[in-house]
Amino acid sequence: MTSQTTLLNTRFLTAGYGPVTVLHGIDIEVNEGEIVVVLGANGAGKTTLMRAISGTIPRTGNIEFEGRSIKKDSTDAIVRAGIVQVPQGRGTFPELSVADNLLAGAYVRRDGAKAVADDIAKWYSVFPRLQERSTQRAGSLSGGEQQMLAIARALMSRPKLLLCDEPSMGLAPLITRELFNVIGQLNKEEGLSVLLVEQNANLAMHIASRVYLLETGVIVASGSAAELSADDSIRKAYLGF
Amino acid sequence: MKPLFTIKAGGPTSWAVRVVCAAALVYVLLWIPTSGSNSLIDTATTALTLMGAALSLNLLLGFTGQISLGHSAFFGIGAYTTAVCVTRWGWSPLKTLPIAFAVAFVVGALVSLPALRIKGVYLALVTLTLGVVFPQFIKWPKIEWLTGGSRGLTDTGFKFDKNNRTFELFGWNPWGNLRGENVKPFYFWIAVVIVLIIYLICRGLVKSRVGRSLVAIRDNSTAAAVMGVNLALTKGLVFGLSAAMCALPGSLTAMKGTVTPDTALLTVIGSITFLIVMVVGGAGTLWGPIIGAIVYQFITEKTGDWVEPDKIPSLLRPFFSWSKTPPAAGIFGLSLVVLMFVAPLGLAGFWKQVVGRVVAVVPKPAGSTTLEPTAPSDGIPTWQPEEPLAEQ
Repeated sequence: MTSQTTLLNTRFLTAGYGPVTVLHGIDIEVNEGEIVVVLGANGAGKTTLMRAISGTIPRTGNIEFEGRSIKKDSTDAIVRAGIVQVPQGRGTFPELSVADNLLAGAYVRRDGAKAVADDIAKWYSVFPRLQERSTQRAGSLSGGEQQMLAIARALMSRPKLLLCDEPSMGLAPLITRELFNVIGQLNKEEGLSVLLVEQNANLAMHIASRVYLLETGVIVASGSAAELSADDSIRKAYLGF
Repeated sequence: MKPLFTIKAGGPTSWAVRVVCAAALVYVLLWIPTSGSNSLIDTATTALTLMGAALSLNLLLGFTGQISLGHSAFFGIGAYTTAVCVTRWGWSPLKTLPIAFAVAFVVGALVSLPALRIKGVYLALVTLTLGVVFPQFIKWPKIEWLTGGSRGLTDTGFKFDKNNRTFELFGWNPWGNLRGENVKPFYFWIAVVIVLIIYLICRGLVKSRVGRSLVAIRDNSTAAAVMGVNLALTKGLVFGLSAAMCALPGSLTAMKGTVTPDTALLTVIGSITFLIVMVVGGAGTLWGPIIGAIVYQFITEKTGDWVEPDKIPSLLRPFFSWSKTPPAAGIFGLSLVVLMFVAPLGLAGFWKQVVGRVVAVVPKPAGSTTLEPTAPSDGIPTWQPEEPLAEQ
């Protein structure tokens, strides 16, 4: 890696639920402008990793964001610092309209209604489907549209780092491909940094700057997408060819 | 079926409808105290009392999704704050309203502390305890000197006097007076003002950024948290505010003269009543509790003397003649079951459905700027999924 600035950095991150420890000391790094993909099977601890970073579950170890420890920060403080999570299973607010969902995404912003409205217009232009349905209840959207909405909503807070928790879940392969394309483009055009956890290795590898493999709460391998897909055993286990 | 009319939100037609509705509302509000019978004014005041309590419960349960079966206690805190301030320190009853508001806010915020960690049935149980304990607490011998124990407090309202001011406008006096001869309209107007205050607070909150965060907490609290909503703080403040608002109509009941711990609305029955009024009217809608309270009070009054068989309308006699108590509660239980099937959003939701068949309101475009379809300007590709859109 060249001299990129580190955005997110976890050291011996441990987390779990009550007596059950799921993550056993995770060290990962996300540099500015990267898409980092964490691959793992069911139960590997992918969602737990997302939750530990966004502060929705208790965790130990150290997490640094832009060189500052956010270990003791509450969830809303972490959002204000610039880390926003797209929760697994989309997690839109079904009773709010599409437009209100986007406005809810701008909850932490303090730069006025004009700037927020401009951003809404911007994301409508990226996702025209959302504009067509702006006054509909979010709950009435299809799965793909809801995933778009969830991503657009997260982007409404102008995050520095976007956490995506299995965006492909429950989506048709074609939609998933489009979705990853959009994430890839956002990264290229806007310089958005992304940390994405996935099971769908094939598609995720395409847009990844770097890849980590997560197995039962431990990082077992890491490297560039090319390096990892060159490794025979990994390719067999995760890519299925 | 296609609606017969379409109206643009914010257009002249929609404003005309608003003005007509507002005028009708003002007319009714003036008609009741000037031309209505005394019992009608009483009924209206009770309905307004329920309205205030149900509106405040609605902010907590309907919009934020936090159940409370302890609102009768906050209602009672309002009543007893006023009663104690008036009887102990001789305050003017109206001046006790902010105190009642503040006391209930603090108690509500304290009660919310467990509410931050628990939800659903467990939260219902914790708050139910509050509702059950409150009347017992009032009867506690050690504080009987303050609360009057189970006998309650008397003379907790206004001091009537022949020389009190009246507020006539050229001989026209819809407000009533405090000379002891025409006091019912006076209570009515206090109730109107209280409901108006509560309604405006709720409306202001619900239509704002905060309101979106409340519905977000109700719909998906994890997603709300990762959008940057401080769950603990928001829930705590809403609980406190809801409790504080509920204390205001409670305070009004004390202004009418007496308070006892066994008054129905101060016991757990009160909590259930507020809940029923809210659900029947429409949880999570601004007008629901208002409609619910009117309908609830109307049915309660109408069926009040249905204990004697010959008072029941002949058509309905076979269904209700066995009842030894007024059947209002039973009627409400049944209508609740029916409503859950026909109109899960209560009467307010049902009304919207019916009106929606006739009139379609075209909403204003979302966001504050005009949103003409913009060309993708930032070089980001637009994305149109090829997915067939089965769901509508």
